[in-house]
Amino acid sequence: MAVMRFALAALGMAALVLNAPAALNAQGPPDGVRALEGGWVRLDTSGSGNFGGLTAGFARAVLTPEGAAKIKPQRDPDDVDPDERPHKAGEPYIVTQGRCGVGGPGAIEPNSAAFFIVPTRDEVLIVREGPGGRHVYADGREHPPLSRIVPSGAGHSTAKWEEGDLVIDTVGLTEGAVTAGGWRTPETHVTERYHVAADGVHMRITFTWTDAKIYARPHSYAFEFERLPADGYAFENWCDSGDPLQRQSVVPPVQLP
Amino acid sequence: MSLRATIVAVLWMVLSGVASAQTHPDLSGYWELTYLDSQHVPRAQLSPRVTRAVLDAQAKKDFKAVRWCNMLGMPAIMASPRPLDIRQTDRMMAIAAEVNAATRYIYLNRAAHISKDIFDPTTNGDSIGRWDGDTLVVDTIGFDPDKGLTAIPGGGFRTANSHLVERYRLLNNGSLLSVTFTWTDPGVYRTPHTYEFRYSRLPRDYEARLPVGCDPFDEGRTAFLTRGGGSR
Repeated sequence: MAVMRFALAALGMAALVLNAPAALNAQGPPDGVRALEGGWVRLDTSGSGNFGGLTAGFARAVLTPEGAAKIKPQRDPDDVDPDERPHKAGEPYIVTQGRCGVGGPGAIEPNSAAFFIVPTRDEVLIVREGPGGRHVYADGREHPPLSRIVPSGAGHSTAKWEEGDLVIDTVGLTEGAVTAGGWRTPETHVTERYHVAADGVHMRITFTWTDAKIYARPHSYAFEFERLPADGYAFENWCDSGDPLQRQSVVPPVQLP
Repeated sequence: MSLRATIVAVLWMVLSGVASAQTHPDLSGYWELTYLDSQHVPRAQLSPRVTRAVLDAQAKKDFKAVRWCNMLGMPAIMASPRPLDIRQTDRMMAIAAEVNAATRYIYLNRAAHISKDIFDPTTNGDSIGRWDGDTLVVDTIGFDPDKGLTAIPGGGFRTANSHLVERYRLLNNGSLLSVTFTWTDPGVYRTPHTYEFRYSRLPRDYEARLPVGCDPFDEGRTAFLTRGGGSR
């Protein structure tokens, strides 16, 4: 009987200790973290063959008159096409100055390179295969007043977890164009919802832009992603402004009828 | 063995297993070199093959990297004058800098380096980590000798044959992070070259600043750099 009581007491102590990790985890990010953590690459499911094809299926932004008035053509400051005329097949022309290391972490929409999500208790770090990164604060803090934010390509991001999804809210972006006919200013909010499918391999990020001055209704679209293989690793995107090859020429191919 | 002794033995194994699974320190946070007794760097013992001419040629390559705003890479990223954002999970540790350097990825979920047959050398190399008690031991190879800033504190430079072992451990109740760096490279060092950096943990409300900008076509910057007598 004494041995039985000792055994029960020992098992009870073991149960308490074994439950401790769960208690510790309760202070950290929720279960969605394990699903979200790792490397991801965009799947261009909605179009191919040209850059416009990727987003051609997205619903166009519905703008207020004030928002429509803000839209202006934008071009990459690194674009140096000097005459802005169509080029004949076989006629080479320079398209870039090869400018590297300017502009910080870049836009918030993942491009065709892989990116990595490193979720921790206080912060979710989203990084690419190069410099910079998005520091997404997940400790409950609020955005600072806009007057204290220097607008940037990454803005100021806070996050919370909703039913296993990571939901990021961002303000403080530099003024500029938004996918599918939208526009943004530092005041504009963009919400990203990161949802990992039940298979653990696929993920959807839904972007929703809201700004009463610009949008008549929230402007929303989504990109699909696939997890990198378990043995995948980050490459390093190299860019050297001092290398003449960085200022690549384009030779337009003969177009098929 | 009595039943009581068996229960005690099983309980001890369970408890020690849980303890070993849970006791890895979390290095996540913002860390900054304080420049107050934070860098302990002895002079490296260079190989006789590293002549003045070799050092000059390497310095010329490094100058070009700075001149053209190339990504810095290891070990310069770890000497960043701005805070490092270190984020650790049980599968990976990422180190993001506020300077022009690619994020470092340290894989905690594999024990072997990527095969040299498929790994393209990079400024940061291929890093894998394992825990040795409370110390994270990071092993890195696969450096690109021609990209980024190659100079190593104390003397010498990284090459394709460089091997770096770093040991990360928390000190002072978690407010300090000690990282010892040990470089071995028979073409550069006579003996392994070891130095230590100590980083201070920043307050939890610290927010990363915009990265330090670098414009390779800024004529004023270029004039400043070249006027100093550096190579073009």
